[in-house]
Amino acid sequence: MLKYLIFEGGLYRHEILEEFLQDIGGFVVQKTVVSLDLIMNLAVPEEEVGRLQELVVELKGKVKEAPLIGTEVAVVAPTLSRHHLPHPACDIAENLRRSGAKTNIIGLARGVGQRIVHTSAKEKELIEEHDIAVFTLGNFERCLREFKPILFRELSIPVIITGGPPLDSLPGAQGYVGGIGRYPERVRTGEMIERLRAVSALSGRVAEQRRRELDIDPLVVEPIIVKEEVERQVPESVEALSPNPVTLKVDGVRIKLPYDEYHDKVAGITLDGKRLGGLAVVKRSLMRDYILVRVLPESRFK
Amino acid sequence: MEDLALGGSVQTVHMFIRSDGPVFIIKIKYREFVGRNTLGELSRILERGNGVRIILESEVDLGDALKALWNVFGRDRVEQVGRMDIVVSRAREDEVRNIKIRDRALDISNKINELAARIIPEGFRIRSVTKGAGVMTFIAAEDPITEEWKEIASRMEGGD
Repeated sequence: MLKYLIFEGGLYRHEILEEFLQDIGGFVVQKTVVSLDLIMNLAVPEEEVGRLQELVVELKGKVKEAPLIGTEVAVVAPTLSRHHLPHPACDIAENLRRSGAKTNIIGLARGVGQRIVHTSAKEKELIEEHDIAVFTLGNFERCLREFKPILFRELSIPVIITGGPPLDSLPGAQGYVGGIGRYPERVRTGEMIERLRAVSALSGRVAEQRRRELDIDPLVVEPIIVKEEVERQVPESVEALSPNPVTLKVDGVRIKLPYDEYHDKVAGITLDGKRLGGLAVVKRSLMRDYILVRVLPESRFK
Repeated sequence: MEDLALGGSVQTVHMFIRSDGPVFIIKIKYREFVGRNTLGELSRILERGNGVRIILESEVDLGDALKALWNVFGRDRVEQVGRMDIVVSRAREDEVRNIKIRDRALDISNKINELAARIIPEGFRIRSVTKGAGVMTFIAAEDPITEEWKEIASRMEGGD
């Protein structure tokens, strides 16, 4: 199994690290250069992590575990109004990104109240395009327990809830983080930042769990290999202006190119002589007409 | 309140929340500015050795006051030294006292309305608003407003 790590260090001599990754079968998921500093999201075979850490010490860098690398997380707010955006949703999303996740913020049309609250079929489908959904709910325990589970209980992906009251769990959710709720300003206090970190830590554990579940019936090809081949065989994908134009997900990739123009080219990508279209489902994403690639499990071919 | 520049205008905010109604009542007491539009009415003016110091009662007036003072004395002589403090150099109190900062008197009830709308939970679409002298009461719910809730709201008004 691959282990996901964030490397922070200098630009100087970083090629040594890239060569090492090539030798051991590791991958660079994302590379960000800021002046002379370098931040790299890495995927490394579990048994090689020790050797990598020794090399990082030699390069005078830092490396930390980040299980959220290679996951796309939906941060879902009950509406797009100023009651729910920007502060809680943006703070949580920012903290998730620091832990390596790619985040998208989604505002529901009718996520409010006790009577009208619901998620439409299209909203559910859009949320399910992600690996994990984090719902940012409010302060009233009764509302959270009795009325809000309708928002997420039918979703097929893991769900994490944030809210105000200190609850142990909520029906239909994989985890709950209290002490957040609705707040009207950017998080500044150490106590609140700790709550945001708790959301990221819980999301990381959920992502690990999801990957371990996938190991029971592994995918026919690692999504990171699909990402590399898409970038190599469809060069337009690298040039797209969207952030993270080929976004790695737990079970596939999202390619930020128009579906109508590029889906045949993407389906025609060859991996060990086989077409990607035969190994994965290539479909239209509900998000801006992008291309969504979902790699199939091995059991589908037995 | 800071976003709406209502810092010095709101005196008290009382809320009644019942999640099993569900109902949300909020009563906001504020300082009215209706009929007051000169610096003499809206601030304390202290004469200093080389000018005057104007201490506004409310942040709401800050923008208009600065604009009016810039028009009369120019930007070089007017300096904002605090959140509600302005110093005008080489000016006398009687020169400043009668400066009108706006043509029409300001009614801040619109801003109070906006403040309440930002506090009331988004899902509570049925609303009842009552306005008195310097006080506004909002009842918000998902169901039609009941007499019981109106009674609670009126008791809140009388309670302090």
